Parts: sequence; structure tokens; C-alpha cells
Amino acid sequence: MLVIEDCRLTWPDFEADYVLSVKTGNLCAVIGPSGGGKTTLLHMIAGFERPESGTLTFNGQNLRPLEPAKRPVAIVFQDHNLFPHLSAAQNVALGLRPSLRLSADERLLVSEMLESVDLKGFEERRPGEMSGGQRQRVALARALISGRPLILLDEPFSSLDPGLRRDMILLVDALRRKRPVTIIMTIHTPEDVADIADQMAFVADGRVVASGRPADILSSNLAPRIAAAVSDS
Amino acid sequence: MTMKLPHPGSLVAFAILGLVAGGFIALVTFDGGTPALFSIGPYLWRVLAFSVVQATLSTVLSLALGIGLALALARRRFPGRDLVLAALSTTMVMPTIVAVFAVFAVYGRSGWIAEGLALLGWEGGFSIFGYPGILIAHVFLNGPFVARITLDGLNQVPAEHWRLATAFGFTPFQIFRHLDWPVLRGELPGIAGLIFLICFKSFAIVLALGGGPSRSTLEVAIFEALKIDLDFGRVAWLALIQLTICLSMTALLHWAFTRPPVGHTIRSLVHRPDAKNNGLKALDTVVLAVSAVFIAPLAFSVLTGIRNMLDVIDADLLRAFVTSLAIATAAAVLACILALALASAARRRRIVLRSPRIAALYDFLPDTLLAVPPFALTAGLFLMIQRFGDPSAAGLILLPLINGLAAVPFAYRYVAPHLLTTEERYGRVAASLGITGWSKLTIMDWPVLKRPLAAGFALAMALSFGDFGIIALFGGTELVTLPYLLYERLGAYRLDEAAAIGLVIVLFAVLLAHASGRLSDAGD
Repeated sequence: MLVIEDCRLTWPDFEADYVLSVKTGNLCAVIGPSGGGKTTLLHMIAGFERPESGTLTFNGQNLRPLEPAKRPVAIVFQDHNLFPHLSAAQNVALGLRPSLRLSADERLLVSEMLESVDLKGFEERRPGEMSGGQRQRVALARALISGRPLILLDEPFSSLDPGLRRDMILLVDALRRKRPVTIIMTIHTPEDVADIADQMAFVADGRVVASGRPADILSSNLAPRIAAAVSDS
Repeated sequence: MTMKLPHPGSLVAFAILGLVAGGFIALVTFDGGTPALFSIGPYLWRVLAFSVVQATLSTVLSLALGIGLALALARRRFPGRDLVLAALSTTMVMPTIVAVFAVFAVYGRSGWIAEGLALLGWEGGFSIFGYPGILIAHVFLNGPFVARITLDGLNQVPAEHWRLATAFGFTPFQIFRHLDWPVLRGELPGIAGLIFLICFKSFAIVLALGGGPSRSTLEVAIFEALKIDLDFGRVAWLALIQLTICLSMTALLHWAFTRPPVGHTIRSLVHRPDAKNNGLKALDTVVLAVSAVFIAPLAFSVLTGIRNMLDVIDADLLRAFVTSLAIATAAAVLACILALALASAARRRRIVLRSPRIAALYDFLPDTLLAVPPFALTAGLFLMIQRFGDPSAAGLILLPLINGLAAVPFAYRYVAPHLLTTEERYGRVAASLGITGWSKLTIMDWPVLKRPLAAGFALAMALSFGDFGIIALFGGTELVTLPYLLYERLGAYRLDEAAAIGLVIVLFAVLLAHASGRLSDAGD
């Protein structure tokens, strides 16, 4: 289980204080207004931002003293996930070995992972030769191949059109059912994930205002604020 | 039947091409002479070889210093870093004649190093003339320029990539391979080509520090053929050779090495994970120390001019200042008008008439002006003017004209992208409302254009203000600019006065460049 208790971060113009629990193997969708602290929450879990106080553990392991590379966390951003000079296969392989010196078995694993995100035959393509959705699939494959059990998706499909966005979310759902991974995904449109997420958290003003089953959150008294956040984004 | 007037940009393009072609024809046909290439013989090969060798060495050394400095500055944060970055930016408008002064002041026969060695009892003389002086001056001017441009490129690496590198635990080598090297590989051919071009065409530095006719660039050879031998045929041939080489280089730079557009990224401050590596800490310390030891004395030598500032303020200096200001203002006005007309024509071709190939030719024309040898063009135009008017007034016309033409590429880079953006955004609305011509310029373009145009104007003025090129032909008791005055004082070994004049030039040029940068940033 991921446990975040009173994790506090302060900047001159922003303050955040998070409390959140996510069960192992669950998919938690994080929603909220722009600038409310959704990305900061993910960056804190990944280790890019360090809380000044509080508890941050995953399956009992204290994450706070760990460098980002040592955490059991993989992250996919909205954009710029891939290195443009590397092929799709090489970008995925970075999740296995940053040196890119792969054994035959590992090369096979990379191909299989690309196949699992419907990108068979795209091994040698460069990011510039792929569509936005294909690039995000490569990033997703890299996050999965890293074998890290906690995957953070920071608005990974926001730049895609609604139909493709939904396809990608269904792909994430299908992939997580084959692997024991916990996923935390920030998202602008809660309807996209309402039927597949196990949990939904509403983040605003640097705090987790509410967390629970998606149906409960979307029908709670937060509904007008959620609608406002969606229309703002 | 009404005859449709050509677009002003087309007229400007034809006028520029006409001036260049007319100048060359005037040179070639002067006095009925038949220019003989082969009569130039071994001299030509010597000049060519020297031009290529010194430009290659200058480029390699500038890149080595600049890349090392850029990587060290990208990895390190220290007090005064912003000041260092600002100082690096000033070299973009540092007049070459001021760099010449700095080399004399530090490395010259009676410079700081010679005096220091004499105090230690070392009497063996050394000469700064030839390769040492030329390379020092070129690297002093271009090394910081490489560092600034490369650092800008390195700063464009998306924050997400740095976060991925942190998350994957990249080693310093992997960071260089996956984050730094792709930027360097993209930037370096263009920068290397540009520096090679600048050094290949180098005039003031080679003239002052070459140490004799055996060490001439083509540009200096053209100047000497003009000023000393008055051999217009040789001027024409040398100019044609330089034009061919520089034009090929410019075309290669223009079409082969276009920087990719920079995408949207997270704009938060990112700390490089390799900054913690002890080996790189030591390397960066060495690089920063070596750069400081090389650059700081040269820069400081110019600042020492403040001691003699009051002594040099006299009627001569004020007259030279006013002359420089007038020429720079006229050149900047001309550069902006020409750039605006050409950019407007390119925009029309690209968006309205949908002929991108012709638009690309308009884009290329300003860059070709970088390849035209200014002395040859000046000589040709001088020959044309003298048929119609008073040749003694030629300098006053040709100085702003040639400086203005030389500044067109820089003004164009400020103006053209904004003109294109306004057309893309509002062009159809304007067309549907029937807003064209002058109204289109004032209503649609001007609000977007005024800041970049002012930025281009300030930069064009800064470049012209410090230029020591054509004035070397026309300068004398009647016509003196500040760079010419500095050259005179250097020739007379009056280094204290030269320092003060150099400081005035640098301060004014930096002030203009700073204004240009501020206006440009505000425009974004």
C-alpha cells in the first residue's frame, strides 16, 4: 500500500500538505483544477520534490530517504517522454538498462513489451516518426518493462483526442490486469476513468480534498468543483 | 488597363541584387581592364591557405573553449554566474577592433604579460603578430559566443528528460550521451560553420595582428589591392573567389543546419544529476579557471580605459562619436526597412501565394549579404558613384549603405518570424475585411512588430557603431569614427587612450545590445 501522511512541501507562493492511501494493485485517478498540486503530488512520490515532513511509504518501505532512481517508481509525463535520437526499442530499453547494453533475452523482452502496447514492427522508429499516441505507448511500455511496481502517469493522454485517449486508458487498464502494478494517474476528465479506476482523489490548493470510490466522489458535494475544474482545463 | 505595381519587397530584392551585380561589373570593367586571375598566382594560394588554416584553427579552438565552458556553466551554480552569462553575451557585439586592442594590451610587446615577465627578469621578447595574436583575438571573440549559444541549447532540454535521467539513475556518461550530445550534435555544425565564415572573412584582426602581407585573409588582400595597389581587376577576382566560398558556406548553413523547433516543456528549475559527480566537479573547476584566466584579462584590459576616460574626451572624440552615431543610425534605419520589405515579400509568397520556394529565396537573400565582400562592393559602388557625383562625399553615402546591408540578416531574423505569425493568425480576417497595404501594416502588423523591429534596430545600430571595416578605406582627417580613432591610437601605441576609446565603444554597443535583448524578450 502507498501511504502518504502529512507530507508537507512549501514554496514562496505555494504550500502543499498531502494525505492519501492507495491499495497495492489499485488504479487511483487524481483529478482537480490546474495548479492545484496534482503534478506536485506525483513528483513528490517519484522523488523530484522532497517533503519537509510526514510519512511516505510503499508496501512498508520508507521512500523519503531514497533517490528517485532507487524508488520503486516509474513515471510517464504528458510530453517529452522519449529521447528523440533513440529508436522506440532503445527508448523502451532504457527502462531495463540505461547503458543500453542488452542481452538477447532482454532484447526479446523489449520486442514483447512493444507488442503488448500494439507497437509490433515499430522497434526502429524514432519518436519524430510516430504519432502522439504511439509515443505515449512507447513511454508506457518503458514504465512497465522497468519492473517497478508503482507507476505514475502525469496527464499522459491529455494531448490526445478523446477517442484515442479512451483507447489508451483501456490499454492501461488491460496492462495492469496482467501485472501486479499500482497506478496513480492524474487526469483532467474524470469520466474517462470513472468505470475502470478503483479510487479517485480530488486535489486542490495543495491538498487531497477527498478520496474514495469514483462513483462516490463524482456524486458527492464536490461535483460542482470537479465540473469547474474540468471546464477550466 | 491598370498596371499592377510590384511588391516593395521584390523591388528591394532586385535593388540589392542590382547593387551587388552593378558593383562587380563596375570593378571588372573599370578602365577597360581585363582581370587576370592567373596573374595573382602563388599570392592567391598563399592567401587562400592562410585564410583556411587560421579560420580552421580559430574554429576548433573556439569550439573547444566554448563547449567546455557551456557544459561547466550548465552543471554549476555559483555566485556571479549571471554576471558571467551577461559578459558572454556582450562578445556578440564586441567590436573586433576592441578585441585587437585587448590582445595588444595583454599580450603585446609592452603588454601586461611582457611587463610581468620583465619584472621576473625574463628579457626574451615574443611577438604577438601572426597566428598567436589572430587566434587569441578570434577565440576571445568567438569562444564566449559558442558558450552562450551552446548553453542556450542545453537549457532547452525538456525538464521531463532531466527527471527521467534522475529516475533511471543515469551516469554522467549516459547523461552526456542521451541529453547533452544530441543538443551539441544538432547545434555544432551550424555554429562551427558560422565561426569558420566569420574567421575566414576576418578583417580588422588580421590587418592589425597579421604582421605583414604574408598573413592576409582574402578580405585583407582585397583591402590591400584597393588601398595600396588600386588594382580593381584583382579586387574583382579576389572578391569573386571569396563570394563563391562564402556563398557555398552560407547556403550550406542556411539549408542543412536549421535548428529544430523547441517544443513545449515544463519550465521549472531542474538540477542536473551529474552536478554531484566529483570527477566532473574537478573538470568544471579546471575549465572555468582556464576560461577565466584567458578571457578575464582581455575583458579587464578594456575596462582599464575608465582611468583615462576624462583625458580622451576632446573635440576629436566627440566628433567621432557623433559621426559613428549618425552612421549607425542611418545604417540601422536602412537595415530595418530592407528587412521589413524582404520579410513582407517572403510572407506574401509563403502564405498568400503559396510559393514556399520563392519565399525561401527571400529568406536566403539576407544571408547572402554576409557572403558579399564589403570592400569589393564598396569599391564597385564607389566607381559607380564617381561617374555621377562628387567622389569625396562617397564615404558618407557608402558607410551607412554597406553597414546597413551587413546588418540586414540580423534585422531580418527579428522581423520575419513575427510577420509570419501575424499573417497566420489574422491574415484571413484582414483579407475578409479588405485590410491591405499600409492599413494592414499599421493595424495588423505594427502592434506585434514594433518591439522586434526596435530590437533589430538596436542590434543593427550596435553592430554598425563598432564596425571597423569600410571606414578603413574612407577614414582620415575628414571622416573619423570611434573605431577608426581607436585604430589610429593603437597604431601610435597610445594604449591608454585606445583603452578609453575602446571602453566608450563597448559600453555603447553593449547598451544597445542590452536594449535589443530586452525589447526582444518583451516581444515574446
